[in-house]
Amino acid sequence: MSVYILKRVGSVIPILLLAILLLTAMIHLSPVDPAEAYLSAAHIQPTEEVLAQKRAEFGLDQSFLTQYVTTVVRLASFDFGTSYVSGKPVLDEVLLRLPATVQLALSSLLLAIFVSIPLGFLAGIRKNGFFDHLSRGIAFIGASIPSFWLGYLLIFFFAVQLDLLPVGGIGSPSHVILPAITLALPLIALYTRLLRTSVIETMREPYVQFARTRGIRETVILGKHVLRVAIPPMITGLGMNLGKLLTGTIIVETVFSWPGFGRYFIEAIFDRDMPIIQGYVFLAALLFIGSSLLVDLLQLAIDPRIARKGGNRR
Amino acid sequence: MNVSRRKKSIIQAVSILSITTLLFGCSNPNEGADNKKNKDTLTMAWPRDIGEMNPHVYNPSQLFAQSMVYEPLVHYAEGGKLEPFLAKSWDISKDGKTYTFTLRDDVKFSDGSTFDATIVKKNFDAVLKNKALHSWLGFISKIEKTEAVDKQTFRMTLSEAYYPTIQELAVVRPVRFLGEAGFPKNGDTSKGVEQEVGTGPWVLDEYKADQYATFKVNKNYWGPKPKVKKIKVDIIPDAESRVLAFEKGDIDLIFGEGAISVDAYNQLKVTKSYKTTMSEPVATRLLIMNTKKKQLADERVRQALQYGFDKKTLVEGITSGLEAPADFILPPNLPYTSKLNVEKRDFDVEKAKTLLDEAGWKIPDGKKVREKDGQPLQIEMMYDAAELVQKAMAETLQSEWANIGVDLKIVGVELPDQVQRFKDNKFDINMYSNFGAPYDPHTFVNIIGTDGFGFKEAISAYPNKTELLQDMKDVLKTTDETKRQAMYAEILPSLQDQGALVPISYLKKMAIYQNGVTNFKFAANRDESPFAQIGIK
Repeated sequence: MSVYILKRVGSVIPILLLAILLLTAMIHLSPVDPAEAYLSAAHIQPTEEVLAQKRAEFGLDQSFLTQYVTTVVRLASFDFGTSYVSGKPVLDEVLLRLPATVQLALSSLLLAIFVSIPLGFLAGIRKNGFFDHLSRGIAFIGASIPSFWLGYLLIFFFAVQLDLLPVGGIGSPSHVILPAITLALPLIALYTRLLRTSVIETMREPYVQFARTRGIRETVILGKHVLRVAIPPMITGLGMNLGKLLTGTIIVETVFSWPGFGRYFIEAIFDRDMPIIQGYVFLAALLFIGSSLLVDLLQLAIDPRIARKGGNRR
Repeated sequence: MNVSRRKKSIIQAVSILSITTLLFGCSNPNEGADNKKNKDTLTMAWPRDIGEMNPHVYNPSQLFAQSMVYEPLVHYAEGGKLEPFLAKSWDISKDGKTYTFTLRDDVKFSDGSTFDATIVKKNFDAVLKNKALHSWLGFISKIEKTEAVDKQTFRMTLSEAYYPTIQELAVVRPVRFLGEAGFPKNGDTSKGVEQEVGTGPWVLDEYKADQYATFKVNKNYWGPKPKVKKIKVDIIPDAESRVLAFEKGDIDLIFGEGAISVDAYNQLKVTKSYKTTMSEPVATRLLIMNTKKKQLADERVRQALQYGFDKKTLVEGITSGLEAPADFILPPNLPYTSKLNVEKRDFDVEKAKTLLDEAGWKIPDGKKVREKDGQPLQIEMMYDAAELVQKAMAETLQSEWANIGVDLKIVGVELPDQVQRFKDNKFDINMYSNFGAPYDPHTFVNIIGTDGFGFKEAISAYPNKTELLQDMKDVLKTTDETKRQAMYAEILPSLQDQGALVPISYLKKMAIYQNGVTNFKFAANRDESPFAQIGIK
């Protein structure tokens, strides 16, 4: 088992190297000079002298290979460099904003779990019943409304018209409600349908039929035999989406003035603040790889046959 | 208690704990962005964090916030008038190289320390440590010597005469003054300041990165005391969310250039529940035609394009009055730009067609696009894809010019890309806006005359290019006011009349505020905060 884990962790390294290579190449191929972008954002006329000074300061006067190797070495030692714009270490900027993003992402995840499990379960046991129709409605809305628009709608009704919740910002528990709903709705839509299908399939399993013939109470069958079996695939799906959730907060953070890292990343893109962009992409890659590794290990714990087969599955 | 029950209660406890932590975690309930109505505090929305309050640095520090805390020697007033401020008077030597300032003697920094020639010199020296970075401001690279002659006299010697020096001293950064306590030990402020000590009417009180900043009144302020006790800046990056927060009443004031969409502004205006106001022109939106391109090298084609669109309808239709049609390449409320004699080119389709015919671009039978020597009259216009007004204007011009047989291709690019392509002369027509008050007209003529900005190449086909470039250099060295006015009266109309620079509209700042807000007035300086006498009921 430990060999399998080591193998999986080892396979992450080339993926990260490739991610950094693509990133460095994209920066290199972009027609926009970050030094110039910095100066124009700062309302400074880009004279040749200042441009040369800024390029040297940002390390943009080096060759592609040198830039790549320097970036890899830096990131490997968790040195994310210094922001071009603020002049502060990227890691400090990230750590300042990451807690807010994590808070928002986890709140949405919890909300998604607490809504989709009962809803999906009820929709599954009573096909075409009230909850099934409700879950279908939510699925349509969740899958079709873009999150920024949903955000505006929620603000308009709950903050402006009804004056129940704040428009944006962070601080009290009421601040997290609207952004968490906005972020959770697409997840609820997806996982409710996933669980519903899973419940319907499980109910057709022979052991459920057998339990019924044994005269076991329906509530016990549904609770012990159906739900327990139907939930794990959904949890796996949620785990897989953890990385996506953390990096998917960008739009929601902007609409709700949530001071997280996603919003900061948007500003960095406009400013062509390369160290911030690099740091973000590197962390996002780590998160994605990390959450997929976590899911693999969870599956391994559930089903040890995977390790025995030499880890060929997945 | 059996094992399964215990497990259950542990799970329950952990769930409750984690939800509570998530909801309350990382925060203090008193720090919300929503505001209780408070007569003494004016709350405004701003899209970005105010950044470091250091008078000598650029982005991400926000100009309006820097101008609340730090003040200049010279004030840029309406109509481009330059008035004494921290300097109560100045004297310029006959050769235009030595500037002697007499400082006010009643000014104190917010920490109570005295503002005098020594601290002025210290600030100048800190700025000069990064001369290259600040060299875009012409006079900085020409400073040879700074002296604190006595307590109230500061002298600055330049390597050559440079008339815009006084005007450039009015800009928000980097020549404003930090108190002694703000300086780091090595005197280099470019890496940060110790304390945000300025002479301005406001002092930074509370600051939470990306969330809000509160400014309170500077008790030691030398000038008229502000009418509100506090100004709170809520950071709301999204324009629509700013509008929603304003409608809810959380925000008292939104101002700036393009602070909210044209539609939102007009929608709020028609409700008559709020007050709205527009500033005087702060800059001009221009079309820059590249005369290096074959089709645009002929002045008649450039003129035809100007006659070929209805400017008034274009500007009013697209901006709904948020911008005004411009007759001149620089707003007339800047120094040396009023009463200039330029040829007006009003909408005249027939004249446009005649000019194109004369230039040899004729419409072949059965075709819609003019041709010359078998080549169609195709022109490409680039605009900033993120700016909706630019896009709408480009689309309108495309349809207007199609009526006179011109095939306009429009290309939306990212702003940094637009700047780069302009610089590299890879464009036919570009949309541009100048720096405005307090930077123009001298900055405008300076960048037109300097390599590497794109303008010098763009006016290549002007027959008087050589003299024009020389005049643009010489005007900056003039020491005689009358001569300078005469030179600008030659340079600016010549640039415009030959048709490579086409004025479209004057950009203005917008402000929308709740009925309780009183005495809102835009500063003449584009970057300065408008809070001088603002009040709230």
